[in-house]
Amino acid sequence: MVVDMDRCTGCQACVVACQAENNIPINTETIFLQRRVIEWIWVERYWEGEYPHVRARYIPLLCQQCDNAPCEPVCPVYATYHNDQGLNVQVYNRCVGTRYCANNCPYHARFFNFWQPVWPETLRHHLNPDVTVRWRGIMEKCTFCIQRIRRVQREAARDGRTLQDGDITPACAQACPTDALVFGDILDPQSRVAQLAKNKRAYKVIEDLGTGPNVIYLKKVDPYAPAADHDHKH
Amino acid sequence: MRLGKGMRIAILLGGGFGSALLGLAVLVLVVPRVVAHYSWSVERLFRQAPAQPIAFSHKTHAGDAQIPCLFCHRGADKEEAATIPSLEQCMFCHRFIIGTTEAQQAEIRKVIEAFNNREAVQWVRVFRLPDHVRFVHEAHIRAGFTCAECHGAVETMTEMRQFHRSLKMGDCVGCHRQNNAPTDCAICHY
Repeated sequence: MVVDMDRCTGCQACVVACQAENNIPINTETIFLQRRVIEWIWVERYWEGEYPHVRARYIPLLCQQCDNAPCEPVCPVYATYHNDQGLNVQVYNRCVGTRYCANNCPYHARFFNFWQPVWPETLRHHLNPDVTVRWRGIMEKCTFCIQRIRRVQREAARDGRTLQDGDITPACAQACPTDALVFGDILDPQSRVAQLAKNKRAYKVIEDLGTGPNVIYLKKVDPYAPAADHDHKH
Repeated sequence: MRLGKGMRIAILLGGGFGSALLGLAVLVLVVPRVVAHYSWSVERLFRQAPAQPIAFSHKTHAGDAQIPCLFCHRGADKEEAATIPSLEQCMFCHRFIIGTTEAQQAEIRKVIEAFNNREAVQWVRVFRLPDHVRFVHEAHIRAGFTCAECHGAVETMTEMRQFHRSLKMGDCVGCHRQNNAPTDCAICHY
C-alpha cells in the first residue's frame, strides 16, 4: 500500500470505513480512558520541528505488513505468520492472547480485545458477515481487508481471468476521498503502487529497524514549512 | 510369587487409600478428557436431525421428484452460502402441487399460509461452522465436488441430518491435503 501524505487531509474516512468493514467494536469514552481503543487504521498526530518552528502533523498508520515482522517470531502458538502473498496473517482461533506480538510491534499496530465486544442492539445486523467477530482475549490487526482479497481472487478464478491492478481495494482506500491510499501488488512493475513507490518522496516508517514495512509513505511537500532546524543553530 | 503390575501398584499405594487415590486420579485426569472428547459427538447425536417448523422432506424433493440441489440452493455455485430458497420459490411449484396425503397437505398448507401472511419460515440450521471459519460453497463446487461429498445422500433423507462429515478442522485439512488445495490458515480463517 502507498500512502500519499501530500493528498491526505486527515479526514478519518479511512478509519470509519475500516471500523465498519472489519466489525471493529465501537470505541466508547470508557474504552478510550482505559487506553484500550481498537483501530486497525488510525491517524496519528506528531510534531515536526523545534520551537518556535513547530508544525502539527498527522499520518495515517496501519499494520505495515512487515517482510521481517517482529510480531511473528515471538508468538508461541504460531497464530501470526507470513503467508505466500506477503500478508502478515493473524489466525484468531489460534491466538491464546499472550500479547507478546503487540509488545514486539514497533508500530503499535496490534490490538488486544480486553473485553468481549458488544454492539448496541440497533447495530446488530450491521456487522459484516464476511469477517469474524473477534472475541475477548485475542489479538487483532489490519489484514488489508483479506475478505475482499479472497472475494476478488475467487471471482477472478470463477471468471477465468488474472487479477488486474486495482481489482482489490481495501475499505480504507475505497473510502479515501482524495485517493491518498493506493493498494496493489508491489512486485508487479506496471502496478500503480510500484509506480508511486519509485517517487523520490517515498519513505517507510522507522525503516532503520529493518522490519521491511510494506506500506510506503510519500512525504508531504509543504512550501510553507519552517526552515530546517540546523540552519537556525548555525 | 509373581505379582501383577496392578497388584504391585496397589501394594505400593497401600490398600484402600491407594485405590481411593487411583479413583480420584481417574476422576480428575481421565473423566474430563473423555467428556471433552465426546461432548461434540454427543451434542451432534442429539442435534443432527433437528425438528423443523415445516416437515420438509429432501427425499420427496431431491429423491422422488429429482429436483437438482442447485434449483433451490441457488447460492451454492455462486457465492459463499448455499442459501435457503425463499418462500416465493416454494410457491413456484406449490401453487399447483398441494400434496396427495393428508399429512402432506397439512405441511404444504403451512407453506402457503406463511407465503400469504408474508412470514419467514424459521428453519433450523443443520450444518453449522463456527464464526471464525469461512467455508465457500462456490469454490468447492467449482473444484468439481458434488454436494453429496459433504452432505451425504440427501435424496434419501426425510429429515435433514448431519452425519456424513464431522465438520472438524482435521476433516477440512485432510481433504485439502488430499486434493492439493491450499492449507494456508488464512484460506479459511479471517
